[in-house]
Amino acid sequence: MIPNTDDALRMLSQRLMNHLLPDLKSLYCRSDGMLVGMLMNAIADEVATGIDRRMKDIADMKTLLAKGGSYLDAGTVVSSEPLSLSLKDVNQLHDELTGHLIQLHIQVEKEGSADATELNNDIWRYLETTAGRHVITAMG
Amino acid sequence: MTLALDEVAQKTAAYLEEKWLRKVVVTNIEKIFGGASRETYRLEVEVDGKSRGLILRRDPKTSLIDTERKLEYGAYVAIYPTDIPVPEPLFLENDPSILQQPFSIMAAIDGAVTDANMLNEDQKQQIGMEKWQLLGALAAKDPLELGFDSFMEVPEVDQCAPRELAYWEKIILADQIHPQPIALAAIRWLKANLPPPAQKLCVVHGDYRTGNFLFEPNDGIKAVLDWEMCHLGDPLEDLAWSLDPLWNWDDAENAGRLLPHSEAIRIWEESSGLRVDLEVFRWWRVFASLKGLAIWISSSEDFQNGEGKDAILAMAGWLMTDRQNRILLDHLSPHASRELTGSLA
Repeated sequence: MIPNTDDALRMLSQRLMNHLLPDLKSLYCRSDGMLVGMLMNAIADEVATGIDRRMKDIADMKTLLAKGGSYLDAGTVVSSEPLSLSLKDVNQLHDELTGHLIQLHIQVEKEGSADATELNNDIWRYLETTAGRHVITAMG
Repeated sequence: MTLALDEVAQKTAAYLEEKWLRKVVVTNIEKIFGGASRETYRLEVEVDGKSRGLILRRDPKTSLIDTERKLEYGAYVAIYPTDIPVPEPLFLENDPSILQQPFSIMAAIDGAVTDANMLNEDQKQQIGMEKWQLLGALAAKDPLELGFDSFMEVPEVDQCAPRELAYWEKIILADQIHPQPIALAAIRWLKANLPPPAQKLCVVHGDYRTGNFLFEPNDGIKAVLDWEMCHLGDPLEDLAWSLDPLWNWDDAENAGRLLPHSEAIRIWEESSGLRVDLEVFRWWRVFASLKGLAIWISSSEDFQNGEGKDAILAMAGWLMTDRQNRILLDHLSPHASRELTGSLA
């Protein structure tokens, strides 16, 4: 039976930081090991919720791109799904949509209409939401 | 390739013997953590029966900051005779056959530290005052009188801002692993709102922040370190970088966790004889955050694709990118609370 992967990473991080590093003589190795331990915690969060966060981003970006259809034709990507729920495939669609969102952002910034301003505000709100959604707090 | 500590010690001793024509014995060597742009070692050597401390900085294959060692070493040589304290530069060696990579050697500053966490409130006040006084003093100097034009490009004052922006934009576009909508929005804003020409041309340290100077808690700053991003430019660039919210992660009120932002600016103005126009300064603050983001993006790319797998590269590209994105949003989003960046208002 495989332990829950994110929990396992967190426990191994604790093992590294609390039991193994204190016995190292080199300050350099202890400090570097602490960073590795912290990163293991951050990676544990990514393992646990990374795909879910990206799927929420993908849904939000599709909504924005559909709303901005008169400014930018994003093509079929607006209705496409990731090839699988592997992180690699989800990232690929996320990146593709983000590229289109950047182009849409440029277009609405150039427009002065009320609609464009509203969409510009929506894009900024999305960027704030996604920055909050992906916030990394695991510091050991 | 990483050299074992005893190999570094042995080869450095041989190198110094050739330079000094004396018997050199390395009595202690340790690698220093946090040398993100160079591998940094502290050595104790015995020469003619006397002990002295040295700092050896060896180029890694990849680093957080891809910089030209000749420019960095040149900055140390030019600044060393001035009232800005820096370690004494001793040797710059470009021959990679000696330690597998080029390296430089400087005198160590004994007894001084970089960790501001150890300071009490009075010491923070004192070190903070000195920190921005020194930065103001650096801004007041004429870089041409110091000879910087002999080894560094000299931009026109109206080119300082666009030149720096173009440099870091190129880094972001080349190194982004995923598309960066916040960085690109910031670049568009910066291009649309370029500041007026610099008040004067000055030496820009390039990474002036708490952690990049050595101090004794009760005896002040002993040396300003890490000049690898040094260039000539607008004096507001260093000031904005020193006040970026990234450097006071856990202390929103105090720039660099030392002094209130407005107090730091007042001290800098007094010391430099220059003025901070807050409208113009806003551009440099947004730029500082973008430059930080560029460095973290670049470190991620180095970690993923480069030879170096230092944890600090991944950490910078992970936590720092995350934080710097939120700082840029706080600067630029129409709905931002200015919780992170509003301390000058």
